Amino acid sequence: MTTVIMRTTARAIVPIVLVVSISLFIEGHNLPGGGFIGGVLTTTAFAIIYMGFGLDFLERGILGRDVDPGKEPSRDRVVVAYRRLFAYGFAIAVVSGLAPLAFGQPFLTQTFVMLEGVPIYDHLEVASAIAFDFGVYCVVVGGLLTILSVVGAE
Amino acid sequence: MTATPVGTDSQLVIAPMLIVLAAATGTLLLGRYPRARAAVSLTSGIAYALAVAAIDWYIVLAPDAPGIATYQVGGWPAPFGITLVADGLSAFMLTMVAILGVASLVFSTRHLPGGEGRSYYFPLFHFLALGVTGAFLTGDLFNLFVWFEVMLMASYVFVAYSGGPQHTRAAFWYVTLNLVGSAVFLLGVGGIYATTGTLNMADLAQRLAEPAAYGLEPVPVVGLFGLLLSVFALKAGLVPFQFWIPTAYRAAPPQVTALLAGATKKVGIYAIIRLSFTVFAGAEVGVELALPGMPIAGDSPLPFVGAALFVMATASILVGGIGAVGRDSLEGVFAYSSIGQVGFIAMPVAIATTAAAPGLRKLAIVAALVYALNHTLAKGLLFLSIGTIRAATGTSRFADLGGLAKRSPPLAIAVFTASLALVGIPPLSGFFGKFLVFDAAARARAGPVLVVLLVGSLLTIAYTTRAWNRSFWGAQTDAVETATVDPVQVAVLAVLAATIVAVGVGFEPVYEFAELAADAAVDTEGYVDAVAPQEASDLLDSSANGGDH
Repeated sequence: MTTVIMRTTARAIVPIVLVVSISLFIEGHNLPGGGFIGGVLTTTAFAIIYMGFGLDFLERGILGRDVDPGKEPSRDRVVVAYRRLFAYGFAIAVVSGLAPLAFGQPFLTQTFVMLEGVPIYDHLEVASAIAFDFGVYCVVVGGLLTILSVVGAE
Repeated sequence: MTATPVGTDSQLVIAPMLIVLAAATGTLLLGRYPRARAAVSLTSGIAYALAVAAIDWYIVLAPDAPGIATYQVGGWPAPFGITLVADGLSAFMLTMVAILGVASLVFSTRHLPGGEGRSYYFPLFHFLALGVTGAFLTGDLFNLFVWFEVMLMASYVFVAYSGGPQHTRAAFWYVTLNLVGSAVFLLGVGGIYATTGTLNMADLAQRLAEPAAYGLEPVPVVGLFGLLLSVFALKAGLVPFQFWIPTAYRAAPPQVTALLAGATKKVGIYAIIRLSFTVFAGAEVGVELALPGMPIAGDSPLPFVGAALFVMATASILVGGIGAVGRDSLEGVFAYSSIGQVGFIAMPVAIATTAAAPGLRKLAIVAALVYALNHTLAKGLLFLSIGTIRAATGTSRFADLGGLAKRSPPLAIAVFTASLALVGIPPLSGFFGKFLVFDAAARARAGPVLVVLLVGSLLTIAYTTRAWNRSFWGAQTDAVETATVDPVQVAVLAVLAATIVAVGVGFEPVYEFAELAADAAVDTEGYVDAVAPQEASDLLDSSANGGDH
């Protein structure tokens, strides 16, 4: 799959996919979208990079690390990072669910604040649900990328 | 609109769930520190047991206890938000899980199977416990589906945990079967939502009791409940949905198998009891089922459930018992035995669904619960003992075992106690379980059922005797002679064995607890009152009058 066509297409569409995925994630609590679907779309962008440039490209080409060709895929440093992203994302989601308990509200209670007079936007809604959504986003990205890179390498 | 007031008892409802959730997160983050992971797991296991004990006392058992407490997750009122409900039935089930869960955790800190996946053992263990806890506490049908999935996801990994070809094959079977089960579950849930317009169990019970007032056509509910029943039977491992059990139980690590047999199976039984008696018992579907020789109560969907359960329970008792007699390894015998024993639990539930008299219905549910408690303790102990034997001798096949009684007398005494409890010898917990089941069958004047129960009991004696003879008596084999059993694991087994004796000797409070649980199961009105589902129009009115949301 590492053809010139694939690479050229990847260069063009990966940034678009990433931007769309982030916008889906941010507007998720009021409109269609959210942490899960945003995370899946972000993973798709990574999958396109993997398909176009090979499994080691992230480490060698972008992070500039040396890669040991005969290594176990699950010991790969990027995979370790993906796993950690999963664990931290889960922790963020759980803590954001527990936080309302400190305010005497039930588990998972959400609220929002309207910011007025913000430049460009004029008013902006800041919802507490975004913290939980961010946790979900990390869990989805971390989990799916772990599966993708480990299973892909096998 | 105002959220349901949050009192101390309602915070208690969610406490066990939050504890396992925190434990899962903590152990996930502590992936690189095995000791800290084990310490966090043990601490949270004990905290879980204490939280469950607090639920037992403050919500169910104390003289001034309310008997039921609810919690609205996220502050959304029922039926729009998810309700968690802790009543006698949930508390009884949670108590069983807490006892076995702590035992299994202590066991796991001594001996962790597997190489690569070891750092994920404890997070997965807590996720399994989370799924079981959530399923026992939720008051929402779709949420029940979600907790089933949480439980299944963790158990998929455990079945494939050791990573060998056999394990992968067992896991593939298990995953395929349960995916089909989940799809059927979802179909049933979707159908019930389409028919009744709600999935909150209390709201469902309320609407089905007066279908005309809500403009419902309740007849499809019978068939949809049949779909759900098949999924619950799959989880409980009732025949004809039993074939995944022997391979899956052999593939999973023994201390997890103890939990699969002792806790997740009971979720299937719990779901049948909860939905049958709390939710669907009051439904007037206007279709009557006439069974030969069976007195049928009213025109609710229960007789249909009862007829199916009678067949499944009978087949389970026979298939499980006969299958267990011929196995060549300890886990084979106990896996088949689990199928038979779940039949013994389902049989009184079947009697309860068809019972006309409320007294008999309650007695039959008590019988099912007491038998379930005995099965959790005894079978949990037996599967844990397989873990000890495997860790000590490297095998659990009868051909390579023999003379274990001389090698480790305390281990032998613990296993002997659990075997006797399965058979039902007084004064152990199993005696009362069997006694109550026979009592319920006799009072229902169900002659054929008594015959099946008797045959099943004889088969139980046959296979437990055989397992005992083959592995604990006789000459010591090479594997046994060189074996050293782990003292902490044997201590855990001894504590479980002592619990079995204690439940039997001090049966009075256990019976009272089971009675309260059965009362809670049939008390639809109390359940609906506690959850207090609101009408959408009420909410709109109150928010129009300056509500805060």
